[in-house]
Amino acid sequence: MSERATGAGPGLDFRARGERVSPRRRGAWGWVDVRGRRLGQWAFILNRLTGLGLLVYLFLHLGVLSMLAVGPGAWDGFVSTALTPAFLALDVVLIFGLLFHGLNGLRITLVGLGLVVNRQQALFVALMVFGAIALLIAGLRIFAVG
Amino acid sequence: MSSPVEPANDTHATSGTGRSVRFRVSRFKQGDRKPHYQEYAVEVAPETTVLDALTAIRRDQDPTLILRHSCYHASCGTCGMRVNDTEVLACVTEVTELGGGPVKVDPIANQRLVADLVTDMVDFYDKFTAVDQPLVRGSDAIPAATVPPGVPGFTRFENCIECGLCLSACPIVATDPRYLGPAGLAAAQRVLEEPREADAFSVLRLTDDPQAAWRCHLAFECTAVCPSNVDPAGAIMFLRRRLASDRVKSIFGSGWRP
Amino acid sequence: MRERAVDPETGRSAWKGGREAERPAWGWILQAVTGVLVLILITVHMVANHFIVSRGLRDYRDVIAYLSNPIVMVWELVFLIVVTWHGLLGLRAVLFDFGFSPRTERRITRLLSVVGVAAVAYGMWLTAVIVSRG
Repeated sequence: MSERATGAGPGLDFRARGERVSPRRRGAWGWVDVRGRRLGQWAFILNRLTGLGLLVYLFLHLGVLSMLAVGPGAWDGFVSTALTPAFLALDVVLIFGLLFHGLNGLRITLVGLGLVVNRQQALFVALMVFGAIALLIAGLRIFAVG
Repeated sequence: MSSPVEPANDTHATSGTGRSVRFRVSRFKQGDRKPHYQEYAVEVAPETTVLDALTAIRRDQDPTLILRHSCYHASCGTCGMRVNDTEVLACVTEVTELGGGPVKVDPIANQRLVADLVTDMVDFYDKFTAVDQPLVRGSDAIPAATVPPGVPGFTRFENCIECGLCLSACPIVATDPRYLGPAGLAAAQRVLEEPREADAFSVLRLTDDPQAAWRCHLAFECTAVCPSNVDPAGAIMFLRRRLASDRVKSIFGSGWRP
Repeated sequence: MRERAVDPETGRSAWKGGREAERPAWGWILQAVTGVLVLILITVHMVANHFIVSRGLRDYRDVIAYLSNPIVMVWELVFLIVVTWHGLLGLRAVLFDFGFSPRTERRITRLLSVVGVAAVAYGMWLTAVIVSRG
């Protein structure tokens, strides 16, 4: 090890200086930086972002439901607010998050257990096509009721 | 004495071709706080590789540029780097394939930087040797080759050329030094496929760890950048299938209990 | 104890694995199992609460009548438990990717467990209040 290919004199021998092995990791930037990456990185980071977004939504949702404990006025007031176009647009964002995270999660579960490993990219594309169609139908329905 | 290849016929030429390409090369010397980019212009021919261009920069423009290479034909794995943010072997990446714009060249990520484009591979080998040394496998590289009588078939050394591109591309390696990583797990899968003298059981146990096979988040970027078709992500998924089915079997009283 | 390759010069073991080897990978498996359950539970939840309901949301009177059905109540509470579990496990997995110390990781697990139990307790309380109005 002392004759490493770095040709290092003692000044370059970071182990002798007691340095940690890998100080130059990319950090969480390596999760979100999709430049030069393929589909898999997009799936990875979108899964993370939709997951965190849905978790935030879960707690918002639970908070909003507390209006049911307040009484009929509070809840029915919220229902009419929720039918405004701005809220309905947010519903479409929510459905996107649910569909992406759910369908990609299905791929992760199957492939992560060693199933359809060699066709995993095709599986991803197929699930996303299905998701896009479902999102379109859901979006049309949401704005039809509004 | 004339050069072995006439300049007009040299498809790898880096001068006299009239077509100039800008290179933005990451520079770093010991003691620098962080890397910076330096620009160079290099003339390229139709088949000039990034490695051709970088060695030309070093030879003709800036002898302080430090890079590492050996074989020039994708066998040794020493010239792995990030070109326009994708991990490649510089020796088989043609400049003309990269579009006309400036070519950004960085060292592979997530490793300790030694100088300019050279990283210390100690982290890679720490993970790699944790599993076992790779073995030999049947070759499917040259199906047309005639096998001599008395030889069952050609073999070649394990596909992994130890270039470290997978560790550079993996999002999990980017944040967590504890993850065993794609190369080490692919080597583990090879040991299980073809144990020979190795203790496959202990290798399997080694991978059944939150920092090993179960740490992968299925970005499949290691497989996408691997220049040698090792398919580390696929190997990790096959390890998991083995581990998961062993787990299920252990519930029913057969198979391995952790 | 597992065997590890040791660097002959430094005497350093090459790779230190995780700390949960005696319970390997329960995090990932739970994540997958709860994930599949959430897929089923949420599909019914979305259809029953939004897609078959006129205007897409039940009004106050309707919510009370709906939740008073014991099957619905159990379904929604199971959904709450599983989806909270899945979500917090996911957050835990993201946080663990930062490579914190084992002590910090144990704290994260404990904190998220408290958050999860609190969320489920709140949901049960809310359900009890709503059903009692029926």
